[in-house]
Amino acid sequence: MADVKEIAIPVADPNDPYAIPAAMPSSADSAPRSFEVEMFPIPTRKQEDWRFTPVDRMSEFFNVFAPAATTTLDARYVDGSALDGAVTLEQAAMGEQESGSVSKPNDRVSAVEWNSSTSSWILHIRQDLDQPVLVRIEGNGLELDALHLVIVADDNVHADVIVEHAGDAKLAEGVEIVTGAYSHVSTTFIQEWSDQSKHVGNHRIRVGREATLRHAVVTLGGDVVRIRMDQDFAGSHGDLNMLGIYFVDPGQHIEHRTMVVHNEPECRSRVVYKGALSGKGAHSTWVGNALIQPTAPGTDSYELNRNLVLTPGAVADSEPNLEIENGNIVGAGHASSTGRFDDEELFYLQSRGISEQEARKLVVRGFFSELIEQIGIDQIAAHLMTVIDRRLAQGEDKPQVEEN
Amino acid sequence: MSTLEIKDLYASVETKEGRKQILKGVNLTVNSGEVHAIMGPNGSGKSTLAYTLAGHPKYEVDSGQALLDGEDILQMTPDERAKAGLFLAMQYPVEVPGVSMTNFLRTAKTEIDGKAPAIRTWTKELTEAMKRLKMDPKFATRSVNEGFSGGEKKRAEVLQLELLKPKFAVLDETDSGLDVDALRIVSEGVNRAKEANDFGVLMVTHYTRILKYIKPDIVHVFADGHFVKTGGPELADVLEETGYDAYLPEGASESALA
Repeated sequence: MADVKEIAIPVADPNDPYAIPAAMPSSADSAPRSFEVEMFPIPTRKQEDWRFTPVDRMSEFFNVFAPAATTTLDARYVDGSALDGAVTLEQAAMGEQESGSVSKPNDRVSAVEWNSSTSSWILHIRQDLDQPVLVRIEGNGLELDALHLVIVADDNVHADVIVEHAGDAKLAEGVEIVTGAYSHVSTTFIQEWSDQSKHVGNHRIRVGREATLRHAVVTLGGDVVRIRMDQDFAGSHGDLNMLGIYFVDPGQHIEHRTMVVHNEPECRSRVVYKGALSGKGAHSTWVGNALIQPTAPGTDSYELNRNLVLTPGAVADSEPNLEIENGNIVGAGHASSTGRFDDEELFYLQSRGISEQEARKLVVRGFFSELIEQIGIDQIAAHLMTVIDRRLAQGEDKPQVEEN
Repeated sequence: MSTLEIKDLYASVETKEGRKQILKGVNLTVNSGEVHAIMGPNGSGKSTLAYTLAGHPKYEVDSGQALLDGEDILQMTPDERAKAGLFLAMQYPVEVPGVSMTNFLRTAKTEIDGKAPAIRTWTKELTEAMKRLKMDPKFATRSVNEGFSGGEKKRAEVLQLELLKPKFAVLDETDSGLDVDALRIVSEGVNRAKEANDFGVLMVTHYTRILKYIKPDIVHVFADGHFVKTGGPELADVLEETGYDAYLPEGASESALA
């Protein structure tokens, strides 16, 4: 059964009646949250949340399936050494330990993932870490598979986690992230799937009181990748930074949907997603939702999406949505733009001896480097730059798609 | 000693009204160390000549050759032409957001030389060249031409000319949009680079004032897509007096004075 939430309608202060302008349920409240698949209709493009998604290319994720269990997960420190007591990795049954504790599935595919997964991986960070943890998730075939990963950070810890995805996969993935009070955590998810791979992801995130979370998603490959990220705060003064980078090749659909919920006072959120698209039929979608609830005075939120179209024929959908139910906030801004790497820029760089391929690399590196610098952790920034260079080099081997 | 030899060059541009031929039989030979001023009325095709030599995709070569030491650069991609030793200083340098000047210059230098420049000498060379052009050091960290004023863009072009050391430099209306001080700084930069590297110069200009700073050896008048007159520096003085009227359809008038 769906969890029907009691909506506490805020009462306006007669001395400051505009502090709470809208005493009505928000649209997010009417969206179901449930572990039951049947609470969600089969996605069609007529539904708001699915209107940019090629649903016919991912219909295998719409009903509960028996997972192939071929996807492997391995966690160690980034230098290759084994995990110690500061961080542990174990498996638990679905719903045991912290799994299922961060909100609930919010659409059909996340409920399917929950009900198809046979167990959860629990990565539990108990102490400060000297170096990032690297979780490698490897797809080993195009059989349908499901994977559930929970990242738990205790109060006060400082830690960085990188989750890498590679190989062939048709993967429904559920991720829960819960950070403790006063913690400083970064989680970086990288998808370097093969061209045939499909990936449906659902991140449910809760940021601790006075905690800082930097959440980054870097999607560099896959036939269809759709990742939805829903977040809220466990207490006041939380700081959330969501960064995204994506590359879309001809025929690929790469979609990111962020849902930032300001439910606690004095929290700050920044969402910055940047994508590069190349060639015919390359399709990216970014939908950035931000909801500022009546319970969240002093909110400071901002979201930004930029797309760079490298060669003609690509489509970038970009949609920021803001829902503000509190008049007493610091800021709630959004921006979106799509630019084209045009012939004049290319000619200018070429006229200085830089080849067409090198020129595109230069522009793409420049486009993303600003964002990568923001990550602020040298090991992760260097790792990402390596991954992007690898991706750019890979583009050279592919036949260039005819422009028209 | 290098030679750039343009032979019977015809080139067209695609317009809304259809294909239009702009260059109609251009012939010119430029040697290392020579400065050629290419002057002419608006719309005569001077800039088209500059862009056609550099390989702008908008212009299509119908026939003819441009031999740089015997190699036809018109058969090359724009980057190959640059590597062969051609440099075009543009009238409207293009902004490339997200790419820093430093990164751009280093990449260009690496491509042209075929190897990365030694970091220490390169940094020193760059810093000193910028200083001589009176460019703020923070330009190096900004995106290529982004938010630069007209004068700053022209200085950045001359900076590249100094650093990339071509065999032939085509300067397309480098004087346009510059005040007297900026014109002097930019001209000095061109002269300095030429002094150091002894390249040949094709200076495309409508006005005579830049010729006070960069002294031409040969002055050409370009009209209706080809050269119509060639002379010494004194030809520029004549143009300053009479303008381009003699080269225009009857009744039209255009001065060569800024």
